[in-house]
Amino acid sequence: MAVSTIYSTQALNSTHFLTSSPSSSSSKQVFFYRRHQSQTNRRFNTIITCAAQQQTVVIGLAADSGCGKSTFMRRLTSVFGGAAEPPKGGNPDSNTLISDMTSVICLDDYHSLDRTGRKEKGVTALDPRANDFDLMYEQVKALKSGIAVEKPIYNHVTGLLDAPELIQPPKILVIEGLHPMFDERVRDLLDFSIYLDISNEVKFAWKIQRDMAERGHSLESIKASIEARKPDFDAFIDPQKQYADAVIEVLPTQLIPDDNEGKVLRVRLIMKEGVKYFSPVYLFDEGSTISWIPCGRKLTCSYPGIKFDYAPDSYFDHEVSVVEMDGQFDRLDELIYVESHLSNLSTKFYGEVTQQMLKHADFPGSNNGTGLFQTIVGLKIRDLYEQLIANKATAPAEAAKA
Amino acid sequence: MTTVAATGLNVATPRAVVLPAARLHAPVRLNYPWKFVSMNRMVMSVKATSEGEISDKVEKSIQEAKETCADDPVSGECVAAWDEVEELSAAASHARDKKKAGGSDPLEEYCSDNPETDECRTYDN
Repeated sequence: MAVSTIYSTQALNSTHFLTSSPSSSSSKQVFFYRRHQSQTNRRFNTIITCAAQQQTVVIGLAADSGCGKSTFMRRLTSVFGGAAEPPKGGNPDSNTLISDMTSVICLDDYHSLDRTGRKEKGVTALDPRANDFDLMYEQVKALKSGIAVEKPIYNHVTGLLDAPELIQPPKILVIEGLHPMFDERVRDLLDFSIYLDISNEVKFAWKIQRDMAERGHSLESIKASIEARKPDFDAFIDPQKQYADAVIEVLPTQLIPDDNEGKVLRVRLIMKEGVKYFSPVYLFDEGSTISWIPCGRKLTCSYPGIKFDYAPDSYFDHEVSVVEMDGQFDRLDELIYVESHLSNLSTKFYGEVTQQMLKHADFPGSNNGTGLFQTIVGLKIRDLYEQLIANKATAPAEAAKA
Repeated sequence: MTTVAATGLNVATPRAVVLPAARLHAPVRLNYPWKFVSMNRMVMSVKATSEGEISDKVEKSIQEAKETCADDPVSGECVAAWDEVEELSAAASHARDKKKAGGSDPLEEYCSDNPETDECRTYDN
């Protein structure tokens, strides 16, 4: 961003030169000056920031059950470097995360009805009537064109809409929530979209793990909560998966018969074919059908082992490629072995996926397909971002030539 | 007499009094900028909510949801009540994670925000 200092009228009327901090060659600079002096004006330095040199890349992530410091976001921001944190000095209940390269916005901030409003009308947060899609579209569009916005804050604890916070346009904007792909205008603004599809059994198991420690909750209340939200979820949230460029589907494992613990998971990464700047990951041979169990002579795995599948498929009338992992990683060498056999990972060096997984070994899902595919999608997004930026840099040069 | 004169004065002088005073203000402000700074900033102390509060809210919301649904299990109110339970449970679990992740050491917290202060400087050699 270019920062220019505007000096007072006295300086301008004299022979002082207006200097600005060095900025990149492609930035535009705007100069303001007052032609006549007026004694009653304050003599404070004004700083005008111009952010006209970048086009923000917008990523959409649809996931159920609220936003916040979700694991996917942390992995994603970690791929780009740096940790994402809430804005300093602002509302401590803010849902926004900011790092050097990325900003993550929670779409719950665009609720038009707060908790009491929803209770009166008898609407859930999943219902589009509880969300202001016009404001969402305007603000995402503004951020994408490099204009800062005052975004409202939805406080999850009090259930009220707090005072807005200023969001500067980042290089990569991630919008995370229940409805990133619901509104068509917002969908068109997204450069890449991801949908996390958790199956009912796994969702139930995860919610039990999360809520049983909470007093007041019982098995029945958790079950009632899931079932009450299911109709709205199926009607409004689930259809978004047909628009996603990548779907991470989490299912119960097939390796353990009658498993109901939900610890071992079968994760499928469904990647749409033909998306610009996105080349799907594959195993051994693109477009073929492979079933692979890496455990054997070269690699020893503990029960239940690991099983991979790769196949082209059709998903909601789109051509897709599906990479599937069932099982768990127990050791580092299993991870690096698997990584060396996957192709088109968009890594910058050998072992980058393993390194990223190990960096966050304490995150949930670090030993199974959820962590693996989230990391891979993060690398794919980095690749997409770099290609987009490179393309935008060459486009003006070509236009100048023509 | 004096009152008449006073009122007469009052009528006449305001116009004369205001302008010179205004012109006077500007250079006076320049000479003593600290005197005329307006402290209009609203100090909003936004306190981060504690974990116990959220747990109480979760418990209360579950009670409410059970009551609302006892009357009519398929109404919008029932569904909205369980949605609220879900939202509060998510908030509670996030608060727990945040607390586990690093709220325990106040010095660490302070230093992560202000690494350049004397207490937090680290030397590599």
